[in-house]
Amino acid sequence: MAADTLKSGAGAGGAAAVRRLLLDNGALTALIVLVIAMSALSGDFLTTDNLLNVGVQAAVTAILAFGVTFVIVSAGIDLSVGSVAALSATVLAWSATQHGVPVFLAVVLAVVTGIAAGLVNGFLIAYGKLPPFIATLAMLSVARGLSLVISEGSPIAFPDSVSHLGDTLGGWLPVPVLVMIVMGLIAAFVLGRTYIGRSMYAIGGNEEAARLSGLRVKKQKLAIYALSGVFAAAAGIVLASRLSSAQPQAADGYELDAIAAVVIGGASLAGGTGKASGTLIGALILAVLRNGLNLLSVSAFWQQVVIGVVIALAVLLDTVRRKAGATPVAGGAGANGGKGKQAATYGLAAVVTVAIVGATSFLHSGSSSAANPKVGLALSTLNNPFFVQIQAGAKAEAKKLGVDLTVTDAQNDASQQANQLQNFTSSGLDSIIVNPVDSDAASNSVNAADKAKIPVIAVDRGVNEATVDALVASDNVAGGELAAQTVAEKLGGEGKIVILQGQAGTSAARERAEGFAKGLKAYPGIQVVAQQPADFDRTKGLDVMSNLLQAHPDVQGVIAANDEMALGAIKALGSKAGKSVSVVGFDGTPDGLKAVKDGTLYASVAQQPTQLGKIAVDNALKALQGEKVEQTVKVPVKVVTKENVAGFSG
Amino acid sequence: MSNADELLRIEGIRKTFPGVVALDGVDFDLRRGEVHVLLGENGAGKSTLIKMLSGAYTPDAGRILAGGEEVRIHGAQDSERLGIATIYQEFNLVPDLTVAENIFLGRQPRRFGMIDRKTMEADAEVLLERVGVNVSPRARVRELGIARLQMVEIAKALSLNARVLIMDEPTAVLTSEEVEKLFSIVRKLREDGVGIVFITHHLEEIAALGDRVTVIRDGRSVGQVPASTPEDELVRLMVGRSIEQQYPRERADTGAALLSVEGLTRDGVFHDVSFQVHAGEVVGIAGLVGAGRTEVVRAVFGADPYDKGTVKVSGASIAKYDVNAAMTAGIGLIPEDRKGQGLVLGASVEENLGLVTMRAATRAGLVDLKRQHEAAGWIAQQLGVRMAGLGQHVRTLSGGNQQKVVIGKWLLAETKVLILDEPTRGIDVGAKVEIYQLINQLTAAGAAVLMISSDLPEVLGMSDRVLVMAQGRIAGELAADEATQDAVMALAVSTPTTEPEAGRGR
Repeated sequence: MAADTLKSGAGAGGAAAVRRLLLDNGALTALIVLVIAMSALSGDFLTTDNLLNVGVQAAVTAILAFGVTFVIVSAGIDLSVGSVAALSATVLAWSATQHGVPVFLAVVLAVVTGIAAGLVNGFLIAYGKLPPFIATLAMLSVARGLSLVISEGSPIAFPDSVSHLGDTLGGWLPVPVLVMIVMGLIAAFVLGRTYIGRSMYAIGGNEEAARLSGLRVKKQKLAIYALSGVFAAAAGIVLASRLSSAQPQAADGYELDAIAAVVIGGASLAGGTGKASGTLIGALILAVLRNGLNLLSVSAFWQQVVIGVVIALAVLLDTVRRKAGATPVAGGAGANGGKGKQAATYGLAAVVTVAIVGATSFLHSGSSSAANPKVGLALSTLNNPFFVQIQAGAKAEAKKLGVDLTVTDAQNDASQQANQLQNFTSSGLDSIIVNPVDSDAASNSVNAADKAKIPVIAVDRGVNEATVDALVASDNVAGGELAAQTVAEKLGGEGKIVILQGQAGTSAARERAEGFAKGLKAYPGIQVVAQQPADFDRTKGLDVMSNLLQAHPDVQGVIAANDEMALGAIKALGSKAGKSVSVVGFDGTPDGLKAVKDGTLYASVAQQPTQLGKIAVDNALKALQGEKVEQTVKVPVKVVTKENVAGFSG
Repeated sequence: MSNADELLRIEGIRKTFPGVVALDGVDFDLRRGEVHVLLGENGAGKSTLIKMLSGAYTPDAGRILAGGEEVRIHGAQDSERLGIATIYQEFNLVPDLTVAENIFLGRQPRRFGMIDRKTMEADAEVLLERVGVNVSPRARVRELGIARLQMVEIAKALSLNARVLIMDEPTAVLTSEEVEKLFSIVRKLREDGVGIVFITHHLEEIAALGDRVTVIRDGRSVGQVPASTPEDELVRLMVGRSIEQQYPRERADTGAALLSVEGLTRDGVFHDVSFQVHAGEVVGIAGLVGAGRTEVVRAVFGADPYDKGTVKVSGASIAKYDVNAAMTAGIGLIPEDRKGQGLVLGASVEENLGLVTMRAATRAGLVDLKRQHEAAGWIAQQLGVRMAGLGQHVRTLSGGNQQKVVIGKWLLAETKVLILDEPTRGIDVGAKVEIYQLINQLTAAGAAVLMISSDLPEVLGMSDRVLVMAQGRIAGELAADEATQDAVMALAVSTPTTEPEAGRGR
């Protein structure tokens, strides 16, 4: 409208409008550059199916991010959205599935949960004068904790009628994409047209000026955070319906993705600016990246590096563009600013392209000749030596057999794994090996692969309510019994022990705990003085054990549900380990075996992860060649102590 | 042609921003040992000009010569190398560092990689003495008043061996005593051979301090005159027409009391403040900085709490500490800190104008954006806001136009009692008169105006009645015909006591 005076009238009509749109929105330019780069690099990228996948995978982040947009525009921050999403979904599943509340009411209850969490945030911030960072950080922890309390740590099946939200309409249009678009339109409407939306910009721009102009800043803040809570609840419901189960650990860390999406979309963390459309673009950039990197078989570790670099570049692109265009009449809008700005934008766009193309082709793991069968291995995590060894075994076997193996890392996030499996399916692999984050949550994705007639092999953990061609696993329950037995025998059937459990909500943790309990039944003299989760993590094992030692200094034995936690416990025990306290671990990882050799770890129930990986690849190859495979392939577990450790190599 | 005394020469400088020609053919020169005043309305291009010298902007055309040689100034380093130092209105000091650290920020003397505090503080001491200010180099900048901050800035400039010192409205925030002190420092620097570019809106300062004056209007230099030029002539050069009267107050008929304040007290801040403002009346509040004037009007408006007393509008008392109650009753406040409290700088003119009326324009949660747009366009035109369009960010407006936007948002809300806190601070003569005329229109329409100002001629020229505050109390009231500078100052420095019966025992 304004300041058109110096603008060149060159380039008539549509082309000029498009160019202006791109120049005014660095994030959109980045997205288009990314899409072009990905299409050039992977033939599987630019298909309707895959683009819809991208939409589905962006949906949860985008819906969360729309809510966060409100908060960031008003110069706040909301770190709690991921946890609130999980809590809302858990409340829905818990009330509908376990307490027979009508589904409609359960959905209302879930939304009310989101609102309540938001109101608490808003109250602490507006009336308690807490910094938003701290108030919502507290809520992050509280909401996560409550969802674990309500669900008792296990996933709860989602009511079928709500699970349809994860399906498709007319067989092709995914409902999550639809929900994302609707929520996006609502967010745009709220920001642009409503009183509360306009207030967000005023409060974010200058809170004191807004207050002195008669805006009820405190009440508005309550409403803003409550809105963010509503969007988090919606995201949680969509997430859980995709997985057909409410996971207490779902959406962990998603708040950071949401914030990144908002900022990539052009909002300022200082408040006062931001748009729903920008946020959508930000979420799409993240989803396109993850999807594309999966399709290109970029190593799971490098994916994280690339994602980080692209986030920084996308925001940099926007900042440079703005700086070049920052003029005394910036508000006058229009694509002014001339050549410098254009050059900067195009220059940075070129850098982004080169970076992405370079990185992906460099990281593209190896030359794939078309003749080789392609197999995907979806691992739950690579943050744990056990799974790294599965990967190593699988890779070695794949090399030997001439199989192209693509490995993904879900970072213990069930929904990320669903995305990765979806990407495997749509890129037309010949076979998929899945190591589910959660046995229930993987069912939808595996069913989709079955429908596409792709053979699926499960490794280490099974998949519920879906057909896999084979399960390659060690027996966790039997292993748990063995572990319990070993400790009890060592203590002579008498003594106090503690148990370090795995990550709440995972099947491995549940099954091993079940095995421990079964095994200990035979030894009434053994007293379990404490059971605490340490999330399969060495650091947490150290912390939890240190705490427990304060309360129970006289403990004589420790059973840990994996070696990592056992090694953490040994650190906490110090010189006691292997002398007055006997520690038994699980998995038989190289570090664990070394500790057994050194005598600090009494025993480890050794699985043979490299064997798991190897056998899984063998079976995948058999299955895709149409050979018969056994339903369950049991890889033996063995108790490794100092006597027989020499014979094990993991 | 190049003169040995010439420090700086600017020839035909041009600078455009998209949509705006900020400077178009400005000539300027500065000699050793002179104070050269840069005069012009807000938005005339003075700031753009000095930003070229400090390296924040680069010119599109024209030449800058330093000591007779053409130079390019691309950043702060370049201008520092040329011996040009700039003291902006907003100080560039770090509040939590000491005076010495601020003076040598980034250039602290070092020994073995550690900061050599002893040397640094000793050097700072010498500089501070040269400026003639009594501040410990170890004092934290946060603890200093505005006048001393300015002296620290000057000391910092001296530490850079500045030969050219640019001062952007240094007197705007100072009391008259402090101004005198500043002048004596500037005169001393002049004797030392420093060339000083001095920007001010106070015409009387030109004769007192300046040697030459360059007047800039609409991005062009329109004349260079000696500092002894009469004020009328300077004003004519500056605004391009002669201003008939600097304070064009037209008294309206006084009606019933619209705003009554009784016994307003906040312990330790203000005590037992009572006054009335009638319809059609302008009441000025004079007093020294720190007398509690701003605190009182903020309490009246509900922005801050108070302990005792009542505020009534048209006889109905309004709840305390409740901005919305005050607004509903018809009170509006133009705050003292325009940028910090009056405006959302990153938002457009339209959004700022619509801020107060936004709730009224909301039906079922939806803002009637069309109505807001029309109203904003109408009031902007009424007030003569000079802008590229309603979508322009207010950050980029000149001070006078920003102030019109702040006033405009209250006019749209049909305010009955308008409180103006330092309404013309940092605003040029032309825009000042426009704001005075707005006040006239308001009172003619039956509104009541309460105006705080530290600019005594303004208070005396525009008020129908003057209240003088001292130490948190009303020290006295003067009718327009008995209010002289002397009378006001006598009350302002008095120590008022409260009559024992008033406002007690509640």
